[in-house]
Amino acid sequence: MIPAPRLGHPNLGLGIGLRSVHYPHILEHYPDVDWFEIISENYMDSRGRPRYVLEQISERYPIVMHGVSLSIGSTDPLDRDYLAKLKNLADQVNAGWVSDHVCWTGVAGLNAHDLLPIPYNEATLRHVVARIRIVQDILERPLVLENPSSYVTFADSTMPECEFINRLAAEADCGLLLDVNNVYVSSVNHDFDPVEYLNNVPHERVVQFHLAGHTNCRTHLIDTHDGHVIDPVWELYRLAHRLCGGVSTLLEWDAKIPEFPVVHSEVLKSRDYMNSELAESVGTTEPVSSSDLFSESPATVPHPAAYVKAEVE
Amino acid sequence: MNSQQRDLERIQRWMQSVIMHPDGAAAGVESKAARDQIDVNSRDVEQVVSRSKNLTSLERLSIYGNAYYARLLECLHEEFPALHRVLGDDAFDGFALEYLQAYPSESYTLSNLGTKLPRFLEETRPARTVDGPDWADLLIDVARLERAYAEVFDGPGVEDDQLLTADELLKIPQDRWPDVTLVPVPCLKLMTFTYPVHEYASAVRQQADAEFPEASPTYLAITRRDYIVRREQQTAEQYNLLGALCDGVPLSQAIEKSCRHIADSEDFALALGVWFRKWSVAGYFHRAELAAD
Repeated sequence: MIPAPRLGHPNLGLGIGLRSVHYPHILEHYPDVDWFEIISENYMDSRGRPRYVLEQISERYPIVMHGVSLSIGSTDPLDRDYLAKLKNLADQVNAGWVSDHVCWTGVAGLNAHDLLPIPYNEATLRHVVARIRIVQDILERPLVLENPSSYVTFADSTMPECEFINRLAAEADCGLLLDVNNVYVSSVNHDFDPVEYLNNVPHERVVQFHLAGHTNCRTHLIDTHDGHVIDPVWELYRLAHRLCGGVSTLLEWDAKIPEFPVVHSEVLKSRDYMNSELAESVGTTEPVSSSDLFSESPATVPHPAAYVKAEVE
Repeated sequence: MNSQQRDLERIQRWMQSVIMHPDGAAAGVESKAARDQIDVNSRDVEQVVSRSKNLTSLERLSIYGNAYYARLLECLHEEFPALHRVLGDDAFDGFALEYLQAYPSESYTLSNLGTKLPRFLEETRPARTVDGPDWADLLIDVARLERAYAEVFDGPGVEDDQLLTADELLKIPQDRWPDVTLVPVPCLKLMTFTYPVHEYASAVRQQADAEFPEASPTYLAITRRDYIVRREQQTAEQYNLLGALCDGVPLSQAIEKSCRHIADSEDFALALGVWFRKWSVAGYFHRAELAAD
């Protein structure tokens, strides 16, 4: 059966990832943003200012939850306590949907706080699909999973990421968060064609898009979320929008975060790429573009690094 | 494609050992922990992780290895800015790297990353070479304070509650004091320090110049009002009285226990009124409870 577009979720428009440095601006100005996405782990235990601010914001804006520690691909047991808190938060803020990544974050009880890739093969597909079903039963809603940026591929993979995600979504009956920047980053890092990738994801299951900036390290790209979206990613977004139709679009900016209006104006650029002709350059996998910045730092830190600093008198 | 795929758990345990190795991915591949899972050396790592057009397998794994420590160090810098200032970049990062190896994160949230840092500093402190407080005591004090700030900031609070006012408290007739207990707010932490590290920590957070403090016994009440962490220095007598009250000791008994040596002084009753007014303004107590007649 063909699922309803976006699994029946609404197109929320253009949203921004909620970050603590922007709390004062948002509470003072209540800017004309369509919706906010929160990092789930920053709020599920909070009984302080982050949770208070979220309650204020959720009264005015639609909220979507995006996690970084579900670890759906791990071979450790699912953390039932974590899932109960996730559901509780989703119910309390009336979350539009709950998303995380196709990845694992740790094993043997540890958390590397990174979005680590898994080999893509039949066994890992069965493993992840089974876990998604359990999570969906606990959350009592479909899970939405994001394609990660990655820096390694495995000799044990037997299918491309796009095929894995396609089958995973169909077999687990879950939604997809298509991160267009991640498609671009991984396409450069793993030498695949991002256009082919976009053409082959199940468009009707895409509930949300992500956009973000990345860092060009000359030999590879790192998903740092620390700058503007570059032109090749915008072109891929234009294609993704044409293929998937109107889908909620969210800009992430997690490091070197500028003032709120700068972030807001960045996501508003999406309008320029909707319903317009594809540029001839769409799909370029050149790792170097004129608007890319080069980084020579060996310690360029990929997203995520979601820590909320205490405010002290 | 391999004819025999490896077990996913082995691959994950192997990769985790590799990227968490403090000496880098190559050393990680050669480590016993990694080779117990997948027995390849650093020259043959392509058997597990494929190379790309531009990078070798080891170089690709190193991206995760570099990011692991860099990301967590960044979080510890955020949580412990004063400790970072005291130690400087190199020493802080050195301590932090050892800490992350001793106590790797077991939590889904980075808010818990620094939980055991004060304990780690105590466990690894060098032997004392001087009588009295030393440098290690200062480091431990700063770490304890900054961890307390993080916990109070995001822990339970009373922002929506009506708290006990000084007038309500002082209205209680003195003959009922043996029966009165005060219920502290859940965000109140009472802590003693060897150094007055709170002033140093505040200066660092305000990005001001700060001298290392001289050792001096320091008693702090740390709480939260309007979602911002507040700290107030107390005298030893105030600290002891607050501590007794927070333990549920009835008012008159707490005063007797904590302030016996000054309770007979002429000014004590006056001072007590001033203390309670100050504590009420600071919002340390939720309510007073009277034992049933």
